[in-house]
Amino acid sequence: MAGDAVVTAAGLTLGYGRRPVLAGVDWTVRAGERWFLLGPNGGGKTTLLRGVLGLLPARAGRLALHPELARRERIGFVPQRCEFNRSLPITVREFVRLGTVGLGLGRRETAAYLDRALAHASLDGLARRSFWALSGGQRQRALVARALVRRPTLLVLDEPTNHLDPAQEDALLRLVAALNADEGVTVLFVTHDVALASRWATHVALVFDGRVVAGPAPDVLARGDLRAVFGAGDGRGPGADA
Amino acid sequence: MIAEFLGSWALFQHTYLAGWLIAALLGLVGVLVVARDQIFLGAAVAQASSLGVAVGMVAGGWLAPRWPVFESDAFLSAAAVVAAVVAALVTSAGGAPGGESHEARTGWVFLLSASVAILALAHSPHGLEEIHRLVVSTIIGATPADVAVFGALAAASGAALARLHRPVLLVALDPEMAAAVGLRAGRWTAALSVWLGLVLGLSIRAAGILYGFGCLVLPALVARNVCREVAPMFVVAPAVALGATVVAFVVAHHRDLPPGQTSVALLCVLVAASRLRRRGGAA
Repeated sequence: MAGDAVVTAAGLTLGYGRRPVLAGVDWTVRAGERWFLLGPNGGGKTTLLRGVLGLLPARAGRLALHPELARRERIGFVPQRCEFNRSLPITVREFVRLGTVGLGLGRRETAAYLDRALAHASLDGLARRSFWALSGGQRQRALVARALVRRPTLLVLDEPTNHLDPAQEDALLRLVAALNADEGVTVLFVTHDVALASRWATHVALVFDGRVVAGPAPDVLARGDLRAVFGAGDGRGPGADA
Repeated sequence: MIAEFLGSWALFQHTYLAGWLIAALLGLVGVLVVARDQIFLGAAVAQASSLGVAVGMVAGGWLAPRWPVFESDAFLSAAAVVAAVVAALVTSAGGAPGGESHEARTGWVFLLSASVAILALAHSPHGLEEIHRLVVSTIIGATPADVAVFGALAAASGAALARLHRPVLLVALDPEMAAAVGLRAGRWTAALSVWLGLVLGLSIRAAGILYGFGCLVLPALVARNVCREVAPMFVVAPAVALGATVVAFVVAHHRDLPPGQTSVALLCVLVAASRLRRRGGAA
């Protein structure tokens, strides 16, 4: 799979209802690349991810995944947030275990996968704790662990650093970089933070005004488009995305 | 008291067995309703099955002179199930951005069902009596066929959940993640709605709204209060439902009380007690 196209978009249009959010997107992600998707709120970063994940059908054009990912067993997904019934009793281990759905693992394999994912996310000491007893940052790490438990070859993270303090943010980025370097995991990472992208990305996709400008990180970040995307700001801004 | 209860076994065994099987079955299904925090959905679907019975009785009044099958108990049960399934599908379809919320749809289904069921039978004393029987819940009169049907449903539901409870939970708790890992979340949700409607529609027809709704949500609430994880709730909730209804039926027989109401009252006490225990544990 090394070097193969993992995600291929050609003339892709995505949107909600009658409103197209992205149009005419041509974009190729190859195995082992570490893509950071940058753009303003409402620019279409999350829409593009939803298309990759199969949650949003293409309204025009084509979006294809590598055949090994067609059954989605090796895709890990970290959503912006995970909201469900807060009165439900659920431990960190059970929450992460939900990520093994569809993998067809036996009991021992499941335990091994869980232990590894919890250790990766530095949650092994909290596995028996209630999910609701965790801090915001710890819950974010539990979401990451739930994605990693699938041992993904494509890891998709939608603003995963939102609730993390700088130390936790750094730890998460180091983990993602290590998975990418050591295991060849392809990464799609949505963020508002240009500084993070310039430090950690091999490739950058600027998603704004319904289009995508994509390429190697140094090339894209050196272009004048950043000012057009974020205006005069520093490119770091909180909030939800379309 | 127990010997006295056992003495009534020959006469009421089908009532007891059907009531216990319904309780265990609904206790199992109720875990998903409680997990999704859609408790009122259970009331709306239960109420919708009474609308199905009402519509079935009206339709039977028109059609039975030519086709006697429309006057049968099986036809009314089928009408109750169809209405319950439709209600479950309508309520589960809510919640899309910009659309009606689950709560709004659930309230609409409940109020429509409660009002139209009475309106449809307003001039039929027999029909109103039937609706009243469903509302107050009486499980006296269950047949061997009821026992067989609910036994089969309980066994099938238990076997399906033993194998599929994790994907079912993922779809119920986080449908977006479920779709991202390749589950067809829409189809799973529709299948769960059909299952809920089928089970609840048949149960309401046999045991009434109060008993059905009570056994659907109360054992799952007890299980939620005593369990540390969701998966054990699928065992604890039916066990609580079964245990509570066995005790309630014995007490009801001894004190000459209606067994459905006795069961629901006992389950309400268990919910409160388990809540206190949970708060004590948290403190």
